Amino acid sequence: MVIYRDEYRLYNFGPSHPFSPVRLEMLTSLLQALGVWREPLVPGEATREDVLSVHSERLVRRVEAASQGERVPDLEHYGLGTGDTPVFPGMDRAARILVGGTLEGARRILAGEKRVLQLGGGLHHAQYDRASGFCVYNDLSVAIRHLTRAGFRVAYLDIDVHHGDGVQWLHYEEKEVLTLSLHESGRYLFPGTGHVHEIGRGEGVGRKLNLPLEPFTEDESYLEVFEALVPWALSVFRPDVLVVQAGADAHFLDPLADLLLTTRAYARIFPLVLEYAEAYAGGRVLFTLGGGYSLDATVRVWALLYHVFHGLPLPERLPEGWLREWEARLGKPLTPTLHDPEAPYPEIPRRREIEKRNRLTLERLTELVRPHLVH
Amino acid sequence: MLVKDVMRAPVLSVGPEWTLEDAYKLLLERGIRHLPVVAEGRLVGIITDRDIRLATSHLNPKGPCPGCTRVAEVMTQEVVTAHPLDPVEEAARVMRERKIGSLPVLEDGALVGIVTGIDLLDALLKLTGVTEPSGRLEVRLPDRVGELARLTGFLASRGVNIHSLLSYPEDGDFVRAVVRVNTLETHLLAEGLRQEGFEVIWPPKKPW
Repeated sequence: MVIYRDEYRLYNFGPSHPFSPVRLEMLTSLLQALGVWREPLVPGEATREDVLSVHSERLVRRVEAASQGERVPDLEHYGLGTGDTPVFPGMDRAARILVGGTLEGARRILAGEKRVLQLGGGLHHAQYDRASGFCVYNDLSVAIRHLTRAGFRVAYLDIDVHHGDGVQWLHYEEKEVLTLSLHESGRYLFPGTGHVHEIGRGEGVGRKLNLPLEPFTEDESYLEVFEALVPWALSVFRPDVLVVQAGADAHFLDPLADLLLTTRAYARIFPLVLEYAEAYAGGRVLFTLGGGYSLDATVRVWALLYHVFHGLPLPERLPEGWLREWEARLGKPLTPTLHDPEAPYPEIPRRREIEKRNRLTLERLTELVRPHLVH
Repeated sequence: MLVKDVMRAPVLSVGPEWTLEDAYKLLLERGIRHLPVVAEGRLVGIITDRDIRLATSHLNPKGPCPGCTRVAEVMTQEVVTAHPLDPVEEAARVMRERKIGSLPVLEDGALVGIVTGIDLLDALLKLTGVTEPSGRLEVRLPDRVGELARLTGFLASRGVNIHSLLSYPEDGDFVRAVVRVNTLETHLLAEGLRQEGFEVIWPPKKPW
């Protein structure tokens, strides 16, 4: 089941902001041009109460006030009105619409649906008391809380290139939520957290896992540690459902970060996630989108996700008409195939060293959580 | 950052008449390594887990007798101390030069705290740590008047808030500045800085 509504595109920080609604417009038009688009389920908006299940009243009040153009003197203290997360008219409702989609996904899972793809959301930086890094309300955590309140054990997998800090901190002391984030090391990239030693607190100890990767990590090394870590953690924790933040910004074309995944890695990761869901989570999986700031790469990665999700064969070339239309609109050439070309970037001289360091990080993480991570 | 910001207080101490056995038990129970020795309200020495282990070793020519040896016989009597208002870096320098693991902190002759190597590591973590969601810029500046101001001025002009700034000297009259800023878009900032002639070490320019 796919969840989507056009109003997701109201979540718009302005024409020069990287978290652009154009990504959704391009993606849906591409899927239509490919002839694979099926009518999605149109979700309702989340209520204020839904949002308050993970956020503070004082944050929500400020988002509401700023949405109506009121002057709020302490906005910056709440992470709002900054260069990354500026305020815009209607922001509260736009953010609640995204939350509504992910929450609807959780409700469908509870109603017996196995696989849900929410074509939006994934705002993993938003914290209890503050907006952060393009994220106003944390749709993932609202959905996760809805699932845990219904008695589900939730495993959260975050493949966005940035650490899933908001989700991690919101569930840091919860034993029924396993968070698993693979990201470019916080030593180099926003938000700066996501070290191996962040393993949870109280009842949550050993259930918050972070695999910070070296800048310039490539497909092979990423998949090596991914395939070693993720099935192991899931097989031990045995969740009832897998919630996946499928940000596409670990792609080598991404202008904000420094990992070097190609579409070939994603073509391996997405089927693996479905396999893991079958093997360890009763087949239940809820995907959201997330970061991804190269329009060219992001749209292809998410189109790939859509195809894998539906078990469709992958197209090779993208439709000519669609390419012409978007190249004209964006004023730059696009990759004409779903996959990246072979060897799309120069060889990385430090490759072996990077692979070794990622392996070592995985070892450290495993040593740290193994004594705590039990069903 | 001052010694009073990182020291431990209140501080556990022993008397010179304590036996090594009792002092060692206290160290073990509390998971600590250093005990100031106090007599009549004045600091008269310091004893560490290492002092006790050496004194009670079978290699000790007098033979081990933890129950009959007094702290006063083993403790270091000339204690190097700190004041609560000493800068942390001064405490670190003294500990490094004397190669010692802790400094009792005295104010008007009274023992008010203790600072150990671990506390200084905490201070280092605090100075270099990430307390707010932020991106990281690393810039190599010529070591001359106004360069840091030019850097921070550029960031201010872009509406970027600086959460922390760490700088240290490099060979060849340069200063390395590591700045944590409240934005994901550090690549964009780096590009702007390069256009202004800054040497940006991180994030790197991508050749594709």
